[in-house]
Amino acid sequence: MTSVSHRSNKELRPVSKKGFFRTLAGQWQLMLMSVPMLLYVILFNYAPMWGWITAFQDYKPKAGIFGSKWVGMKNFMWLFGREDFINSIRNTLAMSVINLVFGTVSSILLAILLNEVRNRGFKRTVQTVTYLPHFLSMVIVVGMAQNIFASDGAVNGLLKSLRLVKEPVFFLGEGRYFWWLVGVINVWKEVGWNTIIYISAMTSIDPSLYEAAAIDGAGRFHRILHVTLPGIKSTFVILLIMNIGHLMEAGFEIQYLLGSSVVMDWSQTIDIFVLQYGISKQQYGVATAAGMFKSIVAIILLVAANTLAKRLDEDTLL
Amino acid sequence: MRKLISVLLVLAMILAIMPAALADGAPEPITLTVFRGDPGDQPAEDNKIYKLIEEKFGVKFEFEFLAGDLDEKLGLMIAGEDYPDLFDGGNSADLIISNGALINLLDYVNPEDTPRLWAHIEPQKARLIDKDEDGNDVLYIIPNYGLTDGDQIVNEVNGPAFFVQKQVLAWAGYPQIHTLNEYFDLIEKFIEANPTDENGSPYVGFDILCEDWRHFCLINPVQHLMGRPNDGEVYICVTDQNYAVTGNDPSEEFKTETFIDKPYAKAYYQKLNEEFHKGLISKDTFVMNYDQYIAQLSSGTVLGMFDQTWDFGNATAALKDAKMDKNTYVALGLVYDPEYVDGQEIEEHYVNGSLPNVRRGFGISVNCECPERIVAMWEEMLSDEWQIIFNWGIEGEDYYVEDGRLLMTEEQYMQRNDNAWKVQNRALAFFESSPKKQGWILDGEFAGNAWDPANQPEIVLGLMNDYDKEFLSAYGYSKFADFVNPPIELAPYGEAWQIDYTPVDVDHQDFLNIQDKRLPELIMCDPAEFDAKWDAFVEEITPSATAFGEYMQEAVRAEAAKVLDK
Repeated sequence: MTSVSHRSNKELRPVSKKGFFRTLAGQWQLMLMSVPMLLYVILFNYAPMWGWITAFQDYKPKAGIFGSKWVGMKNFMWLFGREDFINSIRNTLAMSVINLVFGTVSSILLAILLNEVRNRGFKRTVQTVTYLPHFLSMVIVVGMAQNIFASDGAVNGLLKSLRLVKEPVFFLGEGRYFWWLVGVINVWKEVGWNTIIYISAMTSIDPSLYEAAAIDGAGRFHRILHVTLPGIKSTFVILLIMNIGHLMEAGFEIQYLLGSSVVMDWSQTIDIFVLQYGISKQQYGVATAAGMFKSIVAIILLVAANTLAKRLDEDTLL
Repeated sequence: MRKLISVLLVLAMILAIMPAALADGAPEPITLTVFRGDPGDQPAEDNKIYKLIEEKFGVKFEFEFLAGDLDEKLGLMIAGEDYPDLFDGGNSADLIISNGALINLLDYVNPEDTPRLWAHIEPQKARLIDKDEDGNDVLYIIPNYGLTDGDQIVNEVNGPAFFVQKQVLAWAGYPQIHTLNEYFDLIEKFIEANPTDENGSPYVGFDILCEDWRHFCLINPVQHLMGRPNDGEVYICVTDQNYAVTGNDPSEEFKTETFIDKPYAKAYYQKLNEEFHKGLISKDTFVMNYDQYIAQLSSGTVLGMFDQTWDFGNATAALKDAKMDKNTYVALGLVYDPEYVDGQEIEEHYVNGSLPNVRRGFGISVNCECPERIVAMWEEMLSDEWQIIFNWGIEGEDYYVEDGRLLMTEEQYMQRNDNAWKVQNRALAFFESSPKKQGWILDGEFAGNAWDPANQPEIVLGLMNDYDKEFLSAYGYSKFADFVNPPIELAPYGEAWQIDYTPVDVDHQDFLNIQDKRLPELIMCDPAEFDAKWDAFVEEITPSATAFGEYMQEAVRAEAAKVLDK
């Protein structure tokens, strides 16, 4: 989750041409401060785009960009001709959407609950406990999940003792459970962390609004509905737009670690596909083509979400 | 005064440095970066063998071990041309060779400058030396294993086999088990009589490890059941001395085919399906990772599996350590029952002739600034003195000598299994991938001893535990390798799993992926659906299997021609 400092963009409306240089001169300290960031972006985000050329080559590191053979759209044709690449696009999007919905709903819910808690000590404790898993390495989290969801694990034990199932459910080996398992694990790991941003948005809501609502006879539920939720709406929209921009990244570690060959059809994401068929097999052109495809889809999604938000007259990112 | 002091100080310094620089040509110290294509343990800072190497050769090492997937790691290294000095690409060294990461060792290795290295590779020259695109002789890697001296040592099966816990055979009265049906019948009966071990943990009948490259436990057995040693993912029909199926028809020579899509493979997976529904195989085996597998084996509850001995060495060590000798494993050489192969009687050949581990071990990368120095070091290290240091250790500390025999006390031998001891006292990270002598010491002071303590007869027999002794005597055998046939002569092509398949890399990956996905499904599916699912599997895998199989046919013949021509 990146910061929400973009909110201040609103105040930086473009100035008229005449005043542009004057404003620039007037803000030279600010400009100076932004130089390192600018350099960073140029160096690490724009300069590597030169490498996109290799998406149209049969790139060999030994030959370099100038010596490698041009193959036109062959890398793209190869990718989209493969069923497992199409599957991995489907898996990536499905798991992203599940993560996004689960993640957002759970963190807003928890933030609201915590916001309503009046006992400071309890609130702090819950917050700390829920965000600690964020600092655990995915290897550990997946190891725990594998134990919990194994045929003789805790979940199956519970289901059995409640007589909900007769035979243990094969959570780890059946494809149809995989996406949801990833969603659940991600919620467990990230819910506390994602809550922080919403709680901070809630603290910035003017307390007089709550008082006014209370005087008007609004109960606790109505105050949540009509004060808290509208109060965090702009944060929600900004985060949503940013997350939509990341829809093509469903994560990598969790699928890589939790997936096994029996669930490959459901667990393989674009990144894993690229690693397996692009980098491991020295098809660097194919790897670049897949990366390029991802970036272009991400840009389209981002712009679309932003436009939609603008239409709905919300705060936007761009 | 101050000036005088400073001049004196400078003089003193020069004098202090001089002797070091002049001392019997002590080489300038260097640090070599080393990559190992498998996971391993960093040696301790004060490891005594590395200290000796540093003193003698002025060489220090900085090791990097594999974490994660080998091909991915190599792919990244190649993309960045980020190579270590000493480069062990593990089973994927072909990738780094075809991308020009290694130097041609023949520029440095020749009979005059490096007589020991040359004598080491000379007998297997035909297999080791390749031709590059321009027709020049090239040698990128001197094999880490398999260049042996003297008669082949087969004390136990070190490669693939079907394994079963010793207690199962003992329980059944030490029967002879030679076929697939006998094997599963035995396990079934045992588990029926003993559903749990003495602690109440349920026994698992048969484990199948499917993780990553270790999926050979799932996909390799069929060729062995058909009576061939390990050719990886192809079955090579060699039925007569001309290595042909029938007589002198050249198109039948070294007839190579992928076996997984053939009718004779179906029988094995159908059998597994049957055993799965009898409860001998657990679902969890298909999602288990390697660590979980080793943990399960170490617990002593797994009765059988198909694997290779070296792959579960840690579990065997753990079982021995816990004095659970009856839960350790025997390697059996199983074949199909005649009913599965049209009444044919198959002879088992699990153990092959001694095989150089071609293109596996250290190569020297193009980024290395001192290749001649490394080669000179290897040359010196092939001396008896250094080979004994690497294999046996330091005399008096790690072994002792009696009447020209190299010997170890039980304590000295047992500590070699201890990882903490190894990182202090052995130079395995370097030695395992370096050229080394194996087999018997042929001449010199210690002629007649084995290079490796694990093969020294006094140690093999003297340090065997009582359970094993009793177990073997019940069978009337002298060693565990007696459970299988003696080694056959190595075929001219070697073993086909060593063949470089990078030209059909993508097809090969598809070929493996489909097996990884579908074979577990087949084993777990409803028996009534098995036939239909098998047909669908064969249809799905045929394109990639054909591409891979055709390539391998050519490659096997080319490999054989190299040896037969010379």
